[in-house]
Amino acid sequence: MKYQMNLDYSIPPGDLAPYFEALQDGKALASECNGCGNVAFPARMQCGACCNSDIKWKPLNGTARVLFRTDGGSGSFALVKFDGADTHCTVGLINPERNTTFGKLAAPQGDAPGLWLALAEEKLGERR
Amino acid sequence: MTPFNRRKDGSSFRDWARVAVQGALDDAGLEAADIDALIVASESDFFTLQLNPAALLADECGLIGVAAKRVEGGGASGHVAVHAGVAEVASSMARRVLVLGVEPSASHLKGADVGALYSLSFDAWTDGMTGIESTSLYALSAQAFMARTGASADDFAAIAVRNRTNAKANPNAHLPLDISVEDVAASPVVASPYRRLDCSPLSDGAAAIILARADDLPARTQDRVRFRAVVSAVDTVRLGERRDPGFFEGKQRAAQRAYSYAGISATDIGLAEVYDSYSGAQLQALEALGLGHGLTLAAERDGVFAANGALPVNLSGGLLGQGAPVGATGVAQVLAAALQLEGRYFGLQAQNVPRFALVDTHGGIATLNAISILEAP
Ligand SMILES: [Zn+2]
Repeated sequence: MKYQMNLDYSIPPGDLAPYFEALQDGKALASECNGCGNVAFPARMQCGACCNSDIKWKPLNGTARVLFRTDGGSGSFALVKFDGADTHCTVGLINPERNTTFGKLAAPQGDAPGLWLALAEEKLGERR
Repeated sequence: MTPFNRRKDGSSFRDWARVAVQGALDDAGLEAADIDALIVASESDFFTLQLNPAALLADECGLIGVAAKRVEGGGASGHVAVHAGVAEVASSMARRVLVLGVEPSASHLKGADVGALYSLSFDAWTDGMTGIESTSLYALSAQAFMARTGASADDFAAIAVRNRTNAKANPNAHLPLDISVEDVAASPVVASPYRRLDCSPLSDGAAAIILARADDLPARTQDRVRFRAVVSAVDTVRLGERRDPGFFEGKQRAAQRAYSYAGISATDIGLAEVYDSYSGAQLQALEALGLGHGLTLAAERDGVFAANGALPVNLSGGLLGQGAPVGATGVAQVLAAALQLEGRYFGLQAQNVPRFALVDTHGGIATLNAISILEAP
């Protein structure tokens, strides 16, 4: 039997809407816990450190340091730490041919969400 | 259980379910009419293309009028279904529960489509929609583990070889292979450090077990293994929020609770079926389960977990060797450990039958961890 089904989802991001809207613009909007001060990126509506749901938004500058990266047939991905965040984050690398360990958040392609990092030639801010 | 492999014979998951159910009934000396509850484990409707599969499969397998439900926990679906069955028997909600795990993970969809669906078992809104698939996430976690412990790709490859070697005695195994560490190193990179032979396959198949109090079984089948602990625990879904992305902390939490409930310690475990979706994940799991007694890498290199070692792991071949039809995987792991403790395993039987065996399964990247401790009859 052959059967084909095309599914076209529209998913409301709910309380995380500001985070996803910022992401579409290539901007890193973290959440900051008003209880313990933990800064999470990706953002979350309840603190992962102390479970407090009193959260405010905190813009980050979007720069990140690569901790580990993996390369393979389906792309290149990394576990990174965004400057100003207390959590780490998994991202796709948009320019994996560059073998540096610093980068900046990049807007996802098209309408889809996603966390992408553009690797920089050298540590951003050091070029003076 | 049915063989686990990529079906090319035109058979359907409904056929595999009937075969697995009949096998379990025959083994227990029961008839379909003796079963009062069916719990189906199946990870995703996208694989079966069948919503409400428990009702469908009850009907298909002649389990007329039973209570039926489907249980899901990602990669741990089969094991979580076993836990649900244990709970029903323990609470006297049901007398004889049939747990059926089934999944057409290989034959229904193209591999890339299955991979895209699997990537939704992490955080779909971050990892899944960025296209970070399972192997890449496991690879990042493995790198963190390697950086902390000094484990090498060769250590991982040795596990990939050993599980395939163990699988050679298992007539139901998907990948009973004669391979070497060099073969693993020569296989194509999927996501560094993982190569093709470090990864478990997509498999089709079904497995079924029956859970009951001894009094509710025929006299000849009453002398079977007992569950001493059924425990699960979650970790944070996103790898980046873990204190150590290379450590399976949720699994450690589940294991510690399981030992406590069973009234034993890790040193009492004499055999284990461990969730080896990737070669390195087996070592990470053994560390979190405490089965290396704080020296997991040294124990691995000393052969402790080999078939003839002090604590044989994955004599079935594990996911790497036996295969991984998701819903069926955890059920088959429990079945393998149970038959080992009963001294009647159909594959590589442990040289010395221990008193306790541990079964470990997880969904996500050790995100939802299910553990059972079984005791020999
Ligand atoms: Zn907090």
